[in-house]
Amino acid sequence: MEVLRKLIKAKQFSWLRSASSAILIPFLLLTSWSSPNQSAPSKEYQLKAVFLFNFTQFTTWPPHAFPEPETPVIIGVLGNNPFGNYLSQTVKGETINGHPLVIRYYKKVEDIDACHILFINLPKGIGTKEVLSNLKNKNTLTVGDAPDFIGQGGIIQFVTSDHKIRMKINMEATREADLTFSAKLLRLADIVN
Amino acid sequence: MLLTCSAFFAYEFLTFRKTTISQLTTLGKIIASNSTAALAFESKDEADQILAALSAEPHVVAAGLYTANGKLFSHYPANLAPKHFPGTVQKDGFSIEESYIIGYQPVIEGDRWLGTLYLRSDMKAINQRFLLYIGIVALVMVFSSLLAYFLTERLQKRISDPILLLAETAKAISDRQDYSVRATKLGNDELGLLTDAFNQMLTRIEEQSQEIISFNQDLEQKVNDRTMQLEAANRELEAFSYSVSHDLRAPLRAVHGYARILEEDYHSVLDEEAKRLLNVVQQNAKQMGMLIDDLLAFSRLGRKELTKTEVSMSELAESVVSDLNKNTPHNARIIIQPLHTVFADRSLLSQVFVNLLSNAIKYSSVAQEPVIEVHSYTEGPDVVVEVKDNGAGFDNQYVNKLFGVFQRLHSSEEFEGTGVGLALVKRIITKHGGRVWAYGELNKGASFFFSLPGELKR
Repeated sequence: MEVLRKLIKAKQFSWLRSASSAILIPFLLLTSWSSPNQSAPSKEYQLKAVFLFNFTQFTTWPPHAFPEPETPVIIGVLGNNPFGNYLSQTVKGETINGHPLVIRYYKKVEDIDACHILFINLPKGIGTKEVLSNLKNKNTLTVGDAPDFIGQGGIIQFVTSDHKIRMKINMEATREADLTFSAKLLRLADIVN
Repeated sequence: MLLTCSAFFAYEFLTFRKTTISQLTTLGKIIASNSTAALAFESKDEADQILAALSAEPHVVAAGLYTANGKLFSHYPANLAPKHFPGTVQKDGFSIEESYIIGYQPVIEGDRWLGTLYLRSDMKAINQRFLLYIGIVALVMVFSSLLAYFLTERLQKRISDPILLLAETAKAISDRQDYSVRATKLGNDELGLLTDAFNQMLTRIEEQSQEIISFNQDLEQKVNDRTMQLEAANRELEAFSYSVSHDLRAPLRAVHGYARILEEDYHSVLDEEAKRLLNVVQQNAKQMGMLIDDLLAFSRLGRKELTKTEVSMSELAESVVSDLNKNTPHNARIIIQPLHTVFADRSLLSQVFVNLLSNAIKYSSVAQEPVIEVHSYTEGPDVVVEVKDNGAGFDNQYVNKLFGVFQRLHSSEEFEGTGVGLALVKRIITKHGGRVWAYGELNKGASFFFSLPGELKR
C-alpha cells in the first residue's frame, strides 16, 4: 500500500500512476464511504487525512510557532483516531519548508503542549467547547467534523455532502489564533464570521 | 524587395510563434497556481470555475486538470466529453501536435506536486498572423510595383524620351545627309546641355561640309582648266611636230634626189673621191630621213586611239621575223617560244616586235654565234614578254636612259640608229597600260621586257 502510494507520488511513473489508479479506484470504491475502521480508514477519512496534511501548505503560522528551522510541524489527533495509521503514512518523509512533520495522538487536552494542527474527535463531542477555549491563544488550527464545530469555536469544520468534503472556516477564530489562510483555500471554503 | 519582406516577416512570424507559446505558458502557470487548493482539496466546483476563466482566451479550445494519480479531475469546456482529452499525462512543456499547441503544466504548491494542467490551443492566431503577413507582403509588392511603374512612366518622359529624340535626329541627319537639321531642346537640364552640344557640333559639320563642297568645286574647275590647257598644248605640239617633219622632209628629198641624179648622170665624169663624197651625202640624207620618219611615227602615235583585238603573239612574232628575214639579211638564230595570246592593238604591237627584234639583230651581229630568244610568262594578271640576245649588251648603270627619245648608248659608228625605236616601244606599251624595262651586260648580251596588263584580256 505504502509502496504503491510512494510510486503514485513519484512523477516519473505516470504510466504506473494510471495503472495504479485503475487498480486503486475500483478497490477503494468497494470500501464503504462512511464506515470508520480503525485499521483501514474509510475513504472519507483518508481524504480528510490528506486535507489535514494539505492545510500545512495553505496556512501561515506566526514566526514564534516555529522557533527553529528544524522545529517540526505537529499534527495532532485528540480523542478517537479515525485515520488508522494513514495520517502517519501520509506525512512520512515529507517536509514543509524544511520542517519535518510529526503526528501525535492525544487522549486528554492536558497532554497537548504545542500543536500546529489539531483534529478534535472527542467521543460524542463531549468537552469540545472547553478544549477549544483552552487552545484559544495557542496558534493551533483546530479542525473537526462535528456539525456545530464552528459554533463551538473551531476554526475549520469538515462538511460532507454529496460524497464531497467541503469546509467551513471561522474567520474570527482564525484571527484569534493569529493564523492566516491562503486565499486559494479561502475560495474553496464557506467563510463564516 | 521580396527577399527583404520575406526575411522580415519570416522572423516576425517565428517570433510570434515563440511569443504565443510563451504567453500560453504564462497562462498555464497562472491557472495551475490558482488551482492548487482546488486539486489539494478535491473541489471540482472550484476547479471548474478556475478553468472556465480560460474562456477569456478564445484560442484555448480545451483544458483539463489531472490529479497526482493522473485522473482527469476537471475539464473545460464543460460540454466537451472527456474522451477528447488525453488519457495520460505527458511530460511538462509545450509542443505542437497536428494543428494544435499542446501543453502540460505541473500544479505545484510550495514544493508539493499536486497534479497537472493540460492546455490545448488552436493555431488560428498564428495562422491568421501568417496570412496577415502574406497579405501585407502582397499588398506592399503590388503597391510598390504600381509606384515603380508610375514613376518609370514619368521618368521616361523626362529622360529617355529626350534621348530617343536626339538619337532619331542623329539618324535622320546621317540618312539624309542634311546637316541643316537641328535637335529640339527640351528642358534646361543635363539633357538640354547635351542637345546644345549636339547642335553645335552639327553647325560645325555643316560649315565644314560647305567648305568641302566649295573646295571640291574649285578643284574641279582647276582640273578642267588644266586639262583644257594640257590638251591644247598637246595638240599644238603634235601639229607642230607633224608639220615640222613634213617640212623637213621636202628639202631632204631634194638633197637626196639631186645627189642621186648627180651620181647617175655624171657617173662617167666623176672620180672615185667625188663618188665617195656623193655617197656620204646620200647616206647622211638617208639617215636624216629615217630620223624624221621615226619622229613622225612617234608624233602620230600621240593622236591615234588604240583598237584592241585578241592577238596571238606567237603568230605576230613569226610574221615579223619572216618580214625581217626578207628585208634585212642577218645571221642571227631567232628562237620564238610559244607566246601567250593578249588583247591589244595589233599594228602597234607589231611595231613593238619589229623594233625590239631589229634591235636584237643589230646588236647581236657582233657576236660569234648570235642567238635571239623570245618567250613570255605570266606575272599575276599580267603577261610579260622577254626578247633576249647575246650581243653587244650595254652598261646596266645607264639602263634608265635607254627608253628616252634620241637616247643612245652607242655611237652611230658602232651601230646605226636614231634612238627613237625604244622610246616608241615604251610609248606604245605605256598606252596599253603596261611597263617596259631592260637588263644588260656589256659584251655579253641584253634582255628587253614588256608587260601587258591582264585585265585587257577579256
